[in-house]
Amino acid sequence: MRRILIIDDEDDIREVVALALEATAGWQVLTASSGAEGIAVATAEKPDAILLDVMMPGMDGPTTFRTMRQDPMLAHIPVILLTAKVQEADQRRFTSLGVTAILFKPFDPMTLAKQISESLGWKDD
Amino acid sequence: MTSQEQIDALLAELWERNRPLLEERLTVLDRAVVEVNAGALNEATRIEALDITHKLAGTLGIFGSQRGTELAREMEKILGQAEVSALAHLPGLVADLRETLKSRLSP
Repeated sequence: MRRILIIDDEDDIREVVALALEATAGWQVLTASSGAEGIAVATAEKPDAILLDVMMPGMDGPTTFRTMRQDPMLAHIPVILLTAKVQEADQRRFTSLGVTAILFKPFDPMTLAKQISESLGWKDD
Repeated sequence: MTSQEQIDALLAELWERNRPLLEERLTVLDRAVVEVNAGALNEATRIEALDITHKLAGTLGIFGSQRGTELAREMEKILGQAEVSALAHLPGLVADLRETLKSRLSP
């Protein structure tokens, strides 16, 4: 079973992502409401992939991503940015970080797991 | 219950639970409109409204209001630029957003 960590400060986004991935793909979903909590959960649980919000109070998404990439325990875990920033300049900035993929809010809960699988090249999901 | 039914039920529950929060967020946008109309948008209000429109842009579409997302995106862009000529469009956009969400905000 795939294990996904969603890091987002919005409660409803975490709830929708969790139910969507559990109901449509049967994945286990871990949640964290901040970058710091996300790093702690990722370190303890070693998820198969991380969905990471960009704009969060405190440690934002890019800072969280860079921190994880500097940690040998976490550097191999694919990270997908989940953002409502749709302007091209923002997308270029996010791509230059080295994230695996960028998905946009609002997303369709029914197809989110498929989008994630395609982004990560998971053929068996 | 199918996956679609489970998700629809959760979205309906979350919408109801978050309706007071949405009202609070719209109140902040109303305050920004008052300040824009007075020609003195406070920087703290602008930052707060910018954060709110970003969140609304990312969530309203999930709850079935794609038009709400589009309006919030436009407001986020305007508030981010903070140019006087662009800010003049903010009152109309906030009014459009309220109208778009009207039927779903009523108890």
